[in-house]
Amino acid sequence: MKTEAINHIKFGVMNPEYVKALGVVKLTVPDTYNEDGYPIDGGLLDQRLGVIDPGLICKTCGARAKSCPGHFGRIELVRPAIHSEFGKTLYMILQSTCRNCNKLLLNDESIAKYGGGKPIDPDALVADGEEGATEVKSVMLKRLKDIKRCERCGTQKKKLKFSLPTYFYVDDYKLKPNEIRDMVSKVSNDDLEILGVDAENARPEWLIIDILLVPPVNVRPSITLESGERSEDELTHKLVDIMRINQRLEQNLNAGAPQIIIDDLWELLQYHVTTYFNNETSNIPPARHRSGRALKTLTQRLKGKEGRFRYNLSGKRVNYSARTVISVDPNVDIDEVGVPFAIASKLTVPFYITEWNIEHAKKMLMSTDYPAVLNVISKDGKRKRVIETNKEEILKELAAGDVMERQLVDGDIVLFNRQPSLHRMSIMAHKAKVLPGKTFRINLCVAAPYNADFDGDEMNLHVPQTLEARAEAKILMMSSHQVFSPREGNVIIGTEQDGITGAYEMTAEGNYVTKEEAVYLLALAGVYELPKEAKNGMYMARDVFSMLLPEGLNFETETKKGHVKIKDGKLVEGRLDNGTIGRGGNQLFMKIRADYGFEELKKFIYRSSKMVDAYVTLMGFSLGVKEYVNDQRLVKDRERMLNETMEKIKKLIVDYNDGKLEALVGYTLKSSLERMIIAELNLVRDMAGKDILKAKADMKENNTAMNMVSSGARGNILNVVQMMMFLGQQATISGGRINRGYATRRALPHILPGDLSPKGRGFITTSFYGGLDPIDLFMHAVGSRGSEIYKALLTARSGYLYRRLSNALQDYYVDVDYSVRDASNNLIETQYGGDMIDPMYTKINDIE
Amino acid sequence: MAKEDKNRFLVQYGEAVGTIAAQSLGEPGTQMILRTFHYAGVESTMSTSGLPRIVELVDAKKKPTTPITYIYLDKDIAKSFEKADEMIRKISEVTMSSVVRRVDENFAKGKIRLILSSQEIEAARITPKSVASKISKDFGFETKVDGRIIEIKIGTRDPKKVRSERVRIMNSVISGIDGAGKVTLRQDDKTKEFYLVAAGSDIESLIDIQGVDSTRIITNDVFAIYRLFGVEAARNSIVSELAKTLDEQRIGVSRRHLSLIADAMTARGNIKGVGRHGLSGEKGSVLARAAYEETIKHLVHAAVYGEIDHMNGVTENVLIGKQVPVGTGTVKLAIRKEDLSRTAKKK
Repeated sequence: MKTEAINHIKFGVMNPEYVKALGVVKLTVPDTYNEDGYPIDGGLLDQRLGVIDPGLICKTCGARAKSCPGHFGRIELVRPAIHSEFGKTLYMILQSTCRNCNKLLLNDESIAKYGGGKPIDPDALVADGEEGATEVKSVMLKRLKDIKRCERCGTQKKKLKFSLPTYFYVDDYKLKPNEIRDMVSKVSNDDLEILGVDAENARPEWLIIDILLVPPVNVRPSITLESGERSEDELTHKLVDIMRINQRLEQNLNAGAPQIIIDDLWELLQYHVTTYFNNETSNIPPARHRSGRALKTLTQRLKGKEGRFRYNLSGKRVNYSARTVISVDPNVDIDEVGVPFAIASKLTVPFYITEWNIEHAKKMLMSTDYPAVLNVISKDGKRKRVIETNKEEILKELAAGDVMERQLVDGDIVLFNRQPSLHRMSIMAHKAKVLPGKTFRINLCVAAPYNADFDGDEMNLHVPQTLEARAEAKILMMSSHQVFSPREGNVIIGTEQDGITGAYEMTAEGNYVTKEEAVYLLALAGVYELPKEAKNGMYMARDVFSMLLPEGLNFETETKKGHVKIKDGKLVEGRLDNGTIGRGGNQLFMKIRADYGFEELKKFIYRSSKMVDAYVTLMGFSLGVKEYVNDQRLVKDRERMLNETMEKIKKLIVDYNDGKLEALVGYTLKSSLERMIIAELNLVRDMAGKDILKAKADMKENNTAMNMVSSGARGNILNVVQMMMFLGQQATISGGRINRGYATRRALPHILPGDLSPKGRGFITTSFYGGLDPIDLFMHAVGSRGSEIYKALLTARSGYLYRRLSNALQDYYVDVDYSVRDASNNLIETQYGGDMIDPMYTKINDIE
Repeated sequence: MAKEDKNRFLVQYGEAVGTIAAQSLGEPGTQMILRTFHYAGVESTMSTSGLPRIVELVDAKKKPTTPITYIYLDKDIAKSFEKADEMIRKISEVTMSSVVRRVDENFAKGKIRLILSSQEIEAARITPKSVASKISKDFGFETKVDGRIIEIKIGTRDPKKVRSERVRIMNSVISGIDGAGKVTLRQDDKTKEFYLVAAGSDIESLIDIQGVDSTRIITNDVFAIYRLFGVEAARNSIVSELAKTLDEQRIGVSRRHLSLIADAMTARGNIKGVGRHGLSGEKGSVLARAAYEETIKHLVHAAVYGEIDHMNGVTENVLIGKQVPVGTGTVKLAIRKEDLSRTAKKK
């Protein structure tokens, strides 16, 4: 069969002639199976509509279930029905044309004024100032709607009332579908074209249905329940309804029933046709299943998140993929992923046989070692599973052009993904590494771009199947090339948490390791030489670390803790912290990437993170309650600071009550007081932070909590304040202090009505270490609950924002001239970003 | 960085910059949520911020939820508190209902009695007399002032009329500029210069007021800027408003992404939102629109008007299983038939 790629798709309305030709079977019996369990001829599951049971032969094309595409049938309605989705179109045409001369209500002169008889070009927009542009068409349509008299024959236009979806009235007389058809069929193609209608392919009379197309059984397969009972598809049910009414209407017509009965049945037929197309039509009660649930008819199959478009076409199910729980492994490189043996032995990679590699292929096929060949696909597309018994036979037939599917081996390029895929680093390419165990293993450093943790997260893995796909994945998607985020150019793959503590300590002045330790640390990173000895058999930890720096690297930067200098590949000054080895605006990584490239950077991240983790393990690092025990000095400071603040606020409140408080410029008195109080409370919180920092620095004793804060490994000083001193102000969603609950504007009955004091409004003076009293605990819960609700609400909104944005912008790409174009080749930007620079590299430029 | 190295940092041909921009704004959306817990209560601003503000901007809402205009004054009066204060009286929009404490209707006599709030009229820098004369002037009613009490003679005893006049009077603007909103005075900490903050965005009227420095009037209302200064200014305003909102949340997003979004919204000479009534709803491709939202509407429209889908976009091609026309999908390889037969012969 000759195949071509789809070049374009033209839409139109089906011509009744075509419908008749397409519907190969005229269906007459409103039922499915007879008593013997066979499909009734002329019924809704007629075997000429195609077959779905294996073994049966289609009576139309003679093919079996697998290759029969299915064939349409038709129901010939004894009275026509309007296609409910096109009611508005018919109304527009009826409104715009004269019932007397059947022409457009405007004369040629007026038509020319509204842009002439040219087909409406969506780009033919008329700039219309404030409200933006309006299509010529809509202006003309409005005129046609309002016009009272035909400009050609002068006939008075009769008022036509339209009510959704299919009701048309003239002077309270309800127009019958055939009458509407008579009207619109008299309108000429030329007049329709002026209205923009593609008359050639969408004559309005075709919108009134005489012959209803019945989809093949493939579209509405019946399922057999466990009990052996057959259950029909909802669409089949709906079609049975239509046929039943159609039959009844026919009987009544033949029997010469009174007009009122005929009209009622006709109306019912229209109802069934309407709900067949769309069971959510407004003003129409939905057709229901026996259980009372609304049926899913044609429209419902297409629309929405679970509809054909979004569920089956925009997103598709794939083979060659795997999913399991993830866990960490520091011995897996940044650009590797550990794949469990059970998965690796099922996933396959195609091996394309040519005349040059056929010998190798044959050897591989016969080998009993690990990468076994699971399937062989011959040139004609036949897939054969390789089993012990047919190996020899397959070997004989093996020829160039065949494809073998072999098991996954170390080094195969695979794609690794975690949902929600919010940015491009959510899917990255890794090299497979087959490992024992049942989980995917990744390096801790690549958890951040996936936003993964290891509390049970699962991830998906895909094996690219073509050489092109593999090449693209390797060149464009390797995780080692995704160290910088295209959002702002910051580092997104770097050392985490304890590793940063390790680096911070390891690069500190005056930290030494023994020779054994140095050898251990270096060997872990794959370095087999020692730095210069510092003193009596000891090595400076910093020198050991320096061994990992790329040779000849020169780098200087300012960190929070002072100057860092790397000279000729050796760290000579300063300590590495979060800003130089972790994620964020890490200038060191940017320098390495700029001077040595991604491979060297990857090597550095992998080896250094491994070494500093090992160092912190050697050194020992633990965090306990003892870090938060207050000494006398801090207890006193806390008392004093809180007392001072409380006094100040008390005075503010007294002033306010006495009317002595002066309002801030631009605020009412009350909100001025509120702002002043909040300012004081913020001030005391910041003061507490500074006080802790100072006290701990003075004490000189090693406090691991403070250590983590200053290296940037985890936590900030605010967390320490909350643990050691006080929790501070609990906020509501609106950002203000807590002031509601009871009618007297207080949160709890233990608070005086109108109490403005910090405690009454959710300022917590106790710490996590000291413990919260019941009121404080309540206030803390108010804050937590608020943020939890806020989070839930905004996640939904943020997800929808992302969907809308990506949908609107997804076609944009950078053209050869660095301009940005959309799918229709419209110019969006003349030069991307104004400077053509990739945002991923914008921070690298800051270096020099 | 050496100049010749600059090429290494250019965007690559075909790069799907739209998707990257969308992701750059969409991905931190979830972070904005978590941040509020840590930073809330530190400084409450009067204007909408965070995700709601981003959504509002990207949707191209006609009016911001909290319009704000920063009005700087001419150099000669900016340092003077009295003169700046005088400007407030001139500009600040005061509605009757905001200064009235109590309203009594006397249907029998056809009179309305207003009792003004002394605090509010002082704040609005008006007097009962000025209010009364404003009513007489705007509505033509006879008024009588007694302290803070204003008596208005409606001239009819029809209760319906009296009531409707009451509503009209209460909604009327008695001082300042209609659309300016409430104006407050602020002082710049560094320059000691006074400036005004208005809770409205009618910059068209504000800019012409004597004493207002017309080069230093800033509003967060993108459409007001569009009307007064045109689409280029509106584009810049979208970028800076997005940037401001993200900076407040301490979320770093390259300006290139923001300007691409703003450029996309304004590429047709007006401001279009990104949703189904904007950019997505106006795509050339029927299938792309159908796959987004309002599936049936777009299919029906396409059928009647004979639309053709040329399969140029991403969605359409995903739907039919073809390669997507961005990134490496933009590159096509062509080979001449003669060349093909030549290689075959060689073999």
